[in-house]
Order: sequence, then structure tokens, then C-alpha cells
Amino acid sequence: MRVLAVLMAGGAGTRLTVLSDKRAKPAVPFAGKYRIIDFTLSNCVNSSIYDVAVLTQYRPHSLNTHIGIGKPWDLDRQRGGVHLRQPYQGNNADLDWYRGTADAVFRNLDFIQEKDPDFVVILSGDHIYKMDYRPMLEYHVQKGADLTVGVMEIPLEETDRFGIMTVNRNMRVTEFHEKPKDRDKGTLASMGIYVFSTDILVQRLSEGTAEQPRIDFGKHVIPDMISQDKVYAYPFEGYWVDVGTIHSFWETNLAMTSVEMEQVLNLHDANWVIHTRSQERPPVKLGPQARIIDSLVSNGCVIRGQVERSVLSPGVYVSPGAVVKESVIINDTWIGPGAIVDKAIIDENVVIGAGTYLGYGDDMTVNHEMPDKLNTGITVVGANTQIPGGITIGRNVLIKSGCLESDFPGTDIGSGETV
Amino acid sequence: MRVLAMIMAGGASENLSVLTMVRAEPAIPFGGKFRIIDFSLSNCVNSDIFNVSLLTQHMPRSLNVHVGVGKPWDLDRSQGGVRLLQPYLGPKQSGWQRGTADAVRRNLDFVDEQRVDTVLILAGDHIYKMDYRLMLQFHQQSRAQVTLGVRRVSPFETYRFGIVSVDSDMRITGFKEKPRRSKETLASMGIYVFDYEVLKEVLADEKPNDFGRDILPKIINSHRVFAHTFEGYWADVGTLQAYWEANMSLLAETPALDLYDPDWVIHTRSEEQPPVRVGTEAWVGGNLISNGCIVEGVVERSVLGPGVRVAPGAIVRDSVIMNDTVICPHARVERAIVDKDVYIGESAEIGYGVDNIPNRLHPNRLNTGLTVVGKWARVPNGLKVGHNVIINPGAKEHLFQTDFIPSGETI
Repeated sequence: MRVLAVLMAGGAGTRLTVLSDKRAKPAVPFAGKYRIIDFTLSNCVNSSIYDVAVLTQYRPHSLNTHIGIGKPWDLDRQRGGVHLRQPYQGNNADLDWYRGTADAVFRNLDFIQEKDPDFVVILSGDHIYKMDYRPMLEYHVQKGADLTVGVMEIPLEETDRFGIMTVNRNMRVTEFHEKPKDRDKGTLASMGIYVFSTDILVQRLSEGTAEQPRIDFGKHVIPDMISQDKVYAYPFEGYWVDVGTIHSFWETNLAMTSVEMEQVLNLHDANWVIHTRSQERPPVKLGPQARIIDSLVSNGCVIRGQVERSVLSPGVYVSPGAVVKESVIINDTWIGPGAIVDKAIIDENVVIGAGTYLGYGDDMTVNHEMPDKLNTGITVVGANTQIPGGITIGRNVLIKSGCLESDFPGTDIGSGETV
Repeated sequence: MRVLAMIMAGGASENLSVLTMVRAEPAIPFGGKFRIIDFSLSNCVNSDIFNVSLLTQHMPRSLNVHVGVGKPWDLDRSQGGVRLLQPYLGPKQSGWQRGTADAVRRNLDFVDEQRVDTVLILAGDHIYKMDYRLMLQFHQQSRAQVTLGVRRVSPFETYRFGIVSVDSDMRITGFKEKPRRSKETLASMGIYVFDYEVLKEVLADEKPNDFGRDILPKIINSHRVFAHTFEGYWADVGTLQAYWEANMSLLAETPALDLYDPDWVIHTRSEEQPPVRVGTEAWVGGNLISNGCIVEGVVERSVLGPGVRVAPGAIVRDSVIMNDTVICPHARVERAIVDKDVYIGESAEIGYGVDNIPNRLHPNRLNTGLTVVGKWARVPNGLKVGHNVIINPGAKEHLFQTDFIPSGETI
């Protein structure tokens, strides 16, 4: 059985605001030293799939650097290995940027045909979960399916956020509704994980027309296939999150600090290692007054203040007297003496001046510019920003990447503002 | 100048007791995630020396695994790179290497193949950051044939070192091995630059086995031998006390040895481990903690290697704990060196009591109150262990007949 995995890593992930300004969503740091794509890539190699294509489009640089030749995943191989595929120009005038997931795969059909796998596993590069794809492939073979879709039971009240599959007794998919408003379609949600038999994939993607476009798997390809091909649903049980929003990104990170998490997604599991490109850093150093509870702290951090229920990426410095609470702090950020950071996501290389209070007060005014994205009290700071000392910054505030001290108004910043 | 570095990594280092019973000294974990050899190896590559060989003899397996093809140091190269040289049998060879000079002599054919003009001889068991380029420059500028790395030591410590006397050009005029008292305080660090021709010449004589003891004193008058002073942190961690102190000194606010310097990275083969997780009841202060640790108890003034688990209610103070050791609830570990994969049972206490009776079998090795626990040892629940105790590698529960091991015992 020859299997090729295709990872979708081209989306912009705009709901993550400044976190995905400069990098694709799969390259956003997660749980300290990891990046979101590590989970899917590690699932592939832990499922003995060593032939992986990663389709990029939006801001691929940090993803390219991270994956490189695939060494951390043992994907630097003579046969197979990891291939980063970019959009490209050709002689056909109609070649353009990818318009959707199915379109991206369609543009790489020649690559897939060259690899000549029996099955193509299409995966999303921005989910946090551990899954062995081998049982799903076996299931696909046993059912004699043309397409198998990974599905999960979800609570009835959330069905309008997912693509919902309706199945018969044999788990054959009879209906598919993208984000249905009605609650009568069942509770099996598509996880965006597809196993295709290669011939069918090639055939269905090639027959797109203006009336029947083949741009998106969820919108076009799967609904069309249900009526004419054998489409089955494969139920997955376990921990699975799409960290697509600021709130779910923050919540999922903080969940990783708890003991209970070891039962559902154990990062310490020696039998299912999540591989990543580790930075070369010394151990965590704790000063005599350091106080840390319920936190994940990565190598290269120096902690001389207090850290509570937070996730710190490599190289974060917490000065004496500083307090970090319920926050996600990404690489090499410096938190000045006496500064307080409460319920914030701080991107890499940020400087937080001495005595500044970030996430101040009880005012939960939603962000004025992005009320739909920043509304749960989380303040977000973009990379390479320098926040002056001695000010207070409220909640739901968005501070963009690369701000200098002179970009700040010099006064306190109320909740809901954007700098 | 074409330079080959040869790192001596074969000594048995019996003073390190249980730590060297299972591995060569250079492979001993240090500062959490590092191993002692990382310092010399990183110094080499940070000094642009990319042709390095390691001479092994005593229990080299973990050193072989650690160094591998040299990837972490970018020493996996087609030209040069790192090579591990083992003792071997051949028509004219028999027996093991008898010292540093003998080890180099037996590999002269290899050195010859490298077509180098200068050989840098290093020790694999020193903790320091040194730019060897300065020493090599000095060697060239003073037209020396041999240059020794030296450092100033306290007059009270001269008895531990080879002490040199120099003239105003830093040419060595005298050499005393471990003098009790000496006016001179320049101590040899066991680091030598040799012109390759001179090295061949001095090794042609089959008798001398050791550079420091046999060869150097003899060639002072016949050759141009110079001393290059190194100023900076340097520690020979050849005793348990020195090893423990060097680890503890990393905990200072501005340690003499900065591991966080981006311009002089100490490279190592990192284990693939998740970030440190600190639990709800944890209390941590003044530590170095490596990736993969889970701390749910109290840890103070200690160095933890990767993957150490400290359960709720357990207390670790003033200790060095190596990879993957498990410390169960309510256990107490104070002033101890605990090797890898050790299991410390519930409510067990290491470093119990206030007495300081030296170890009875090795009073000269263990007399400062440290207790050492060898790799894979399993300390049963509720056992109390005093000071200066040696628990040998692989000691199982049934070996502990009582629930109290008084100070100075060996298991």
C-alpha cells in the first residue's frame, strides 16, 4: 500500500490576527517549543507515512525554515520524505494562485501522479491532535471506499460551525451539509481529513467545469462525490482541536499546562513523540525568587519573577518582580521588572517595559476594529514590538507587530483599543 | 596553519565513583542537558577548528552515542569532521593505551593522513569556554614549537597541578609536577599546541606515556616551549565535590560560565523532549531545569537533567539530578548527585541527618557530605540514607536490608 500525505498549509488564518501576519497558521508556535504543524507531521511519521507533501501559499518563510529538509521528523529521505510545494507559474495562462483546498491539490496532480500512490491522505496543517492514520487507511480498504472522511462526534449546539455528515448504518455518507443552521443533520463533524483512492481523486479533480467547479473539498468535491461514489465516514475518538481563533488558541495552550491533559494529549508519550525543530538552548534557569505554578516553560527561558498558568516558548525572560498570568508568551520576549501580564498572547521578540500592566482592569470592552476576533478579554501583542514602561494596557487590546515606543500615545491604553 | 584537535577522552577517572562506573568521564551529564565533552567540542567549532578526533578507551559507548557523526556541532563533514579513535590491535600494537602521550602515539598514522602542521591536544573533561585561535596565534607569533595553556591558581592549590615558571616572553623555564608550595602560580591546564614535527619527534621514544608527567619537563630546555595564559572560568570536574560545585556555580545570578551567550553556544545532542511542566503545588527557586521535566514538588538550588519527575510533596535541594530520574511523593533529596534513571521511592530520604562521616571505602573521594546514587538504582520507599554514602549503579530494593543507611556506607 503506497500512501502519500498532502498537508494543506496555505491558509491565511486571519482570525489569529497578528499571530499570522508574518507566518502561515501552521507555523504559529504552540505549547512552548512546538508549532501547530508539528502535530500533523508527527502523526504522519508515527503512522509510518514517510511521503509527505506540504502545500504552502500564504507567508511560507517561517514554515520553510521550520520544516527544512524534514530532519526532526526523519523525513530527510532518499525515497519519499517531505516536499514543500509552492504555487508556481507555467505555460498555461490560467495558472494562478490556489483558490481553495481542492484547487491546490489539483495544481499538484502531476506531482501526485509521479509519486503514484494507491491512496492520498489529505490533511489540514492547523489542527492539534494525535491520530494514527493506519486504522483509517485499513478501514478505507475494507469498506472498498473511494473516499473516507474522518469525522468526530460534536455537541449538537456546535453543529453550525462544522461540515456535518449524515451516514447510514454502514457509515456510508448519505448527506453532507456545510455549517447547517438546522440541528437535524446529526452530530458527525468532518475533521478535514480525507483518504482518497488516487484514481478517483485524479478523476474527480480533473472534471471541474465552470458550472461544477472543483475549488474546495468541503464545498464542491465531497458533495458531488456523495451521489456517485462510495464515500464513508471514519469516526475518530480522542482529543482534536482546530486552534483557529484567538480564544481557542489561548485556551488550548493553557489546557496543555494541566495534569489532566496528560490523559488526552500527552506530550511526554515516548510512543508517540511530537517531533519539532528544537532550538539549541540551555536549560530553564530559575532565579532564587522565581515562583512558577501550572505552567509549561521551554528551554532557554530565564525566570526571575512569577509565572502562573502560562505557556512560555524558548528564550523568554521574566524579570524580578514581574508577574505572568494565564498568558502565552512566544520566543525571546523580555518582560521588564515589575511588569504584569494578565491573559495575553505575546508574539516573539517583544519588549515589555518595566512596571507596565498588560491586561489591566475589569473593562471587557470588545476590540473596536475586530469585535468578532477579540472579545473574550485576551490582549494580543505582535512580534518585535516594544511596549514602553509604566503604562497600563486594558483587555481585548491589539498591539500590532513592530511597534516602537514612539508609536504609543504615551498614556494608558483602554480596553478594546488597537495600536 | 592546518590544525587537528585531539581530545583525550579515555581516562578511567575513578574519583568520580559511580558516575564513571557506567561511562567515560567526558560523557557525564553536566548543567542539565549538556555533557562534559560538549565544552571542548564546542570550543573547537567555535574556534573554527573543524577537524577533531576523540581518543576513547574507558567505557566509550555513551560517548559514541552522544557524539555520533557530530551533527550537533556541525562536525558531520566530508572534509575533517569528528572521528572517534578507539584502541585497537595490530601487528606492532598490543595492550591498551597507557597514557595521553601513548594514546596519541598509537594514532600517529592517522594524524599523518590529516596532513596538518599543528596538533592541538585537549582534555575532554574540562568545563570552560576558550577561543583556541588566540592560543594558536600566540604559538605562531612567538615561534614556539610547543605551547601550553596555563592559568593562574591560588597558591594553596598548586599541589593539584603542574606548575610552570616563565621568562618575560612567556617562554617556559621550569616545570614542577604538583609542588606542595610554590612561588609560581601558573598551572598547566593540560592543553597543548604542538608543531606536528616536534610531536612526532618526542613520541618517537617509546617510553614516555604521559605529556604532563614524562614529556614536557624533558623538552623545556631542548625546544622552544611557551605558556599562553587563559583568563576565564575553567574547572576540572575530576572529583565529586568539584563536579557538584561546578554544577552549583551555574545557579549564580551571573554565573562565571554563561551558558546563555549567543556568540559562544555550547552545542549538545539534545533529547527530543517537551517543555518543562510545573504543577500546581510546585515550589521552585534558584534552579536549572531541562526540557521534559515535570516538577510538582519543591525544587531549590538544584540542577535537573531532561525528563526528571519530582512528585507532589517531594523535596529536592542542593542536588544534581540526571535524566529521567523519578522522585516519588514525599521523598527528600538533599546535597546529592543522582545519576540517570534512578527511582527514589515514596518518603525515602537521601542526605539524612547532620553528621559528616567520610565514606569508609573511599574516604578520600567522598568526605564533604555529598551522597551519590548510581544509574538505575532503586531506592525503596521510606529508606533513610545518610551523607557520604555511595549507592552503586543498578542497586535493587532487596539490597537494602534496613530502613536506614548511616553515613559513610556503600551499597
